[in-house]
Amino acid sequence: MTPPPADTAAAMIRPAPLRKDSKVNRDLLRVMEGFSFGWFTLLNVSVAFMLAAGGVWIYQVYKGLGIAGYAHPVFWGAYIVTFVFWVGIAHAGTLISAILYLFRAKWRNAINRGAEAMTVFAVLTAAQFLGIHVGRIWKSYFILPYPNQRALWVNFKSPLLWDTFAISTYATISILFLYVGLVPDLAIARDRATGWRKALYSVLSLGWQGTSKQWKAHNRTVLHLSGLATPLVLSVHSVVSWDFAMSIVPGWHATIFAPYFVAGAIFSGFAMVLTMMIPVRRIFGLEAYITDYHFENMSRFLLLTSIIVGYAYAAEYFMAWYSGVEAEQTAFWLRAFGPYWISTWVMILCNAVAPQILWFKKVRTHVPTLFVLSVIINIGMWFERYVIIIGGLSREYDPAVWGIYTPSWAELIIVAGSFGFFCHFFLLFLKLFPVVAIAEVKEIEIHAKEHPGEHWDHAHTYGEIH
Amino acid sequence: MPTLVGIFEQPLLVAQLAEKLRGRGFSDLEVYSPVPSHELDYAVDDRPSRVRLFTLIGGVLGCITGYALTLWMANDWQIMLGGKPFSSIPPYTIIAFELTILFGGVLTVIGLFAVGKLPRFKLDAAYSARFSAEDFGLVVRCAERDVAEIDTLMREHHATEVNLVEP
Repeated sequence: MTPPPADTAAAMIRPAPLRKDSKVNRDLLRVMEGFSFGWFTLLNVSVAFMLAAGGVWIYQVYKGLGIAGYAHPVFWGAYIVTFVFWVGIAHAGTLISAILYLFRAKWRNAINRGAEAMTVFAVLTAAQFLGIHVGRIWKSYFILPYPNQRALWVNFKSPLLWDTFAISTYATISILFLYVGLVPDLAIARDRATGWRKALYSVLSLGWQGTSKQWKAHNRTVLHLSGLATPLVLSVHSVVSWDFAMSIVPGWHATIFAPYFVAGAIFSGFAMVLTMMIPVRRIFGLEAYITDYHFENMSRFLLLTSIIVGYAYAAEYFMAWYSGVEAEQTAFWLRAFGPYWISTWVMILCNAVAPQILWFKKVRTHVPTLFVLSVIINIGMWFERYVIIIGGLSREYDPAVWGIYTPSWAELIIVAGSFGFFCHFFLLFLKLFPVVAIAEVKEIEIHAKEHPGEHWDHAHTYGEIH
Repeated sequence: MPTLVGIFEQPLLVAQLAEKLRGRGFSDLEVYSPVPSHELDYAVDDRPSRVRLFTLIGGVLGCITGYALTLWMANDWQIMLGGKPFSSIPPYTIIAFELTILFGGVLTVIGLFAVGKLPRFKLDAAYSARFSAEDFGLVVRCAERDVAEIDTLMREHHATEVNLVEP
């Protein structure tokens, strides 16, 4: 037998322990450490909003939907508006993770995790509103095709049924997507954590070791999930739009609705990613990872989708006029100059006009302005859904049944609570999971080390995936 | 059986060495990598990942389920709605589409678990936290008489360290 080489014989038990952790690990895991006063305050505020909304909801279950502002002929109010709003927000994560992945846009690596998490939380928030809106929550399972004594099945020709399938599929796939991406990072956290965190990450990381077999399967899985999620993300808001477009309400019954809603969803989703990630970057000092370049790219997306949304507004008006249908024409006239004119002009100014400042590079690279603009867009996109839903229902064919709807105090509290619901998930996520995809950021760095001089964003990095 | 762990800084070196080792008949290899790396995907195993089979099966099953569910339910208790046929393919296509994605996605993740042998309840003896930092590891299990040869090869390929686990 040949004796083992002398210097290895000395270290015979295990590989030498980790002497110096990588900078990426240290920087990005630090985000999860410690619970600051500011974080606790925000969490408490969020939870307070959430509990207030929960209390109002319980009261609503007890009293009935009468405490919501529903009044003939408007029976889809702020709850449905907010439902559509949150489903829209949920689109950015999958867009960044799946579509930009397929397009090999490497800049997604720093922001995809935060956006994916937002997607999951936004879908969960949206899903609450289906339960809140139906009123008789104890019968909400009627929407599912389950065997029952009456041998009745659900109506698969209804867009509401399509929506049930679309939203639940979207929630499932986006949770899987988030989790699959998290597993290697959880292993990084596991190898460094102690105490309860060690136990948590040991379970959640599934014993991940980063063997070539695991990575190969992982790459495949991410590729396939991206391939599946890409048509899914486009379908979800299309289906939501058909909740409206399949009916014959003036202002709703339009073929432009699906692309219009999808563009609007991406628009609002990117705005929300900016609203959340700009403070996160600042508070946790992640400037080295989430750079101005990322924000600039996102603001380009905002500009593009703003133009599409603005075009859709114009196209709607044009089609109403060109169709010659009096009800359509009246509905659109009243949108701009009727009782809901404020909402309409807020929507147009926030979504189609204000984002035009992004044509200037100075604006795209000025982070505080981007933050303010993203908030403006969020407000505008809420009002867009308000205009479509309330504006449509309150002014249908027969002036004799026209009516006015104003959100009630109960609806406003529940809508505000939904933001608390969303934010408290995000705040907990920040402290429990890596908000920037560590392994993927490291991948870029190691690649740059191996191929010096090559642009890090070069398509070569991801020439092929197996 | 002696297990040698070579530690490297670049995935390309690991991939080249793994290929050489396999050429010399050392097939009991394992690679640890902190990042997904295209170069390492085929270092140990030439075959494409079987995860794709799972996706295909899931997608096909979901599509069939979607149409079967809707067509059967609509005809099991027929209710005329808007004068439309009971078996309306266009609206049912939406359900079939969503279930294709749902089943395909869920089976893809099940595929990841099956192919990647997850979850594992015990980490390998050769695994260390440095492989979730920046180091790449190449693990070779070999007969005792080959230890010196592999050690030399690893060092020739710029291994920063070579360690012997379970001698």
